[in-house]
Amino acid sequence: MPVPREYVVKRLLLLVFVVIGVLVITFVITRIIPARPEFLWAGPHATEEQLKRARQELHLDEPVHVQLYYYLLDFFRGNWGVSWRTRLPVLNDLLTALPATLELVIVAFLLASLIGIPLGIYSALRYGRIADQIIRVLTILGASVPVFWIALIFQTAIGIWAGVLPAGKRVDDYLAYITGFKPITGFYILDSIIQGNLPVFIDVLRHIIMPAFVLSIYPLSLSSRMSRSLMIEVLNENHVRSLEVWGVPQKTILFKYALRNVIVPVIASLGLSFGYTLVGAFMVELIFVWPGLGYYAGMSLLSYDYPAIIGVVILVALFYSLINLVVDLIHAWLDPRVRF
Amino acid sequence: MSELILYLNIIRRNPIYLAGLVIVSLFVVVGLIAPYILTRPGDAWGLTYDINKRLSPPSLEHLFGTDEYGRDLFNRVLLGTRFSLVIGVGVVALSLAIGIPVGLIAGYVGGKAGTALMRVTDMFLAFPPLLLAIALAATFGRGLSNTILALSLSWWPWYSRLIYLQVSSVRNLPYVDAAKVIGISEARIMFRHVLPNSLTPVITQATLDIGSAILEASALSFLGIGVPPPTPEWGLLVSSGWRLISVAWWVSFFPGLAIVITVLGFNLLGDAVKELMDPRLRNLLSMRRV
Repeated sequence: MPVPREYVVKRLLLLVFVVIGVLVITFVITRIIPARPEFLWAGPHATEEQLKRARQELHLDEPVHVQLYYYLLDFFRGNWGVSWRTRLPVLNDLLTALPATLELVIVAFLLASLIGIPLGIYSALRYGRIADQIIRVLTILGASVPVFWIALIFQTAIGIWAGVLPAGKRVDDYLAYITGFKPITGFYILDSIIQGNLPVFIDVLRHIIMPAFVLSIYPLSLSSRMSRSLMIEVLNENHVRSLEVWGVPQKTILFKYALRNVIVPVIASLGLSFGYTLVGAFMVELIFVWPGLGYYAGMSLLSYDYPAIIGVVILVALFYSLINLVVDLIHAWLDPRVRF
Repeated sequence: MSELILYLNIIRRNPIYLAGLVIVSLFVVVGLIAPYILTRPGDAWGLTYDINKRLSPPSLEHLFGTDEYGRDLFNRVLLGTRFSLVIGVGVVALSLAIGIPVGLIAGYVGGKAGTALMRVTDMFLAFPPLLLAIALAATFGRGLSNTILALSLSWWPWYSRLIYLQVSSVRNLPYVDAAKVIGISEARIMFRHVLPNSLTPVITQATLDIGSAILEASALSFLGIGVPPPTPEWGLLVSSGWRLISVAWWVSFFPGLAIVITVLGFNLLGDAVKELMDPRLRNLLSMRRV
């Protein structure tokens, strides 16, 4: 069913309000911190005079709402303020770090759907049998594991002890140097394909597979559990059962009638778990020395770099809201029961 | 009450559910008595150290080995149960304390105030769950109560929305109309009739969320913005072994395992409850954390 334009416009307007709300909430909470960022800005050996000037430059002596005004000014000028740590426009920093995180998250989601959905469907088809029970327990386990812990275990066991896969970073710097690999889009998988650089392509895959798998454990469990319960539901519906009675082969029932009722909601729920996974990526990045948003956020947190922290939070919240919007629209488009 | 006995009977017959029940009960009991059964309380609270024994691998004397200060990890993990219990229950209780009034007023009173409250709720829901908690925890600084506060402030909107949906459906039921007709005051209807009949799914969900709260609190501690050292909080213990993991795997391994088992217990139990509940409730519950 086509989605009415008014609905899309309404949702987009709501998105703008949400982002502004997020911005204000984040700004206010970061300004409650009693840290003294002027020391960071003026350097370790700053004189009283320089500190005073730093306070003025950062508008720290103004009331919070005036500070917010200055920040909004920066935000809409398009640089999102200047990072107090790197002294570069925050938006620059964020856009440099973003592709690394997105590449990681996208690969993780591919793994989650390619492994999770078939696993859940298989589990449903073996309902109540031993295979079903094992898969169920494994997926509940997958949803219970702290991502930072399992990341450490994988890194140590596979990366350091067994030495089968690299224990961190995105690509072997030496290999990239001698083969003349240059990042263009920042998505290294894509970049190495564009440049026809096979050794780097393989190296990039070897680097990404472990952190991406670790990150995919939660969404993988989620998609497997959801596709299992949806599949069981669908197989018990009257229209599917009557197909069975008519003697339609099970394969046809499965692939032609049941599957489409499972895949759409599962993909939608995966979309909604995007925000959670993005934050999980922060910890995975810190552990695997992955130069993305999480690594940047971790460093910013340590140095009380407010503009950078706000920038990360807003960017992630923006992504999260956009994905939610897209999921809702796709849902509305595919599911005629959704009313506006 | 008889329903509870029925549930327990069903849980007892399924080994998976039973495991969940056993883990959760054990967690609660150990959490309550942990400070009194420590064999090395000084090690557990982080007051003593023995540099000669630093980083000794697991043995009969030190079941989980020792950390970089030579403190017995088994005792530290054991005491960590208490902290996880306090954090888990604290986060859920505080979130309910904020979420229930907001959802109740928005759902029952409605009008402009109700809409405004739900808009605020939506705004908080626009943050990815853990992200807001990270921003808040970084702001408040390290500490047990700060961690609980930061997590609760990012957590309550889920309950407020859940109770809002419940209240909106309950308030249109005939017995509420009947109460109005016989002249019972609005406040009395709201607190004595609507609220108790809307609470069950929220309280159930909140109880099962204790596992997730523990998981998120451990993430905050791991990032260095949760509970401060030398508190033996599990996430913090994992983080303290981070840089040593290739020489002393046990420092990070056992505290992490404690998190996994505890959260697994709550999730298994949650699965059981969701299967046992009627479909109407199941739909409501599945909204959380999709």
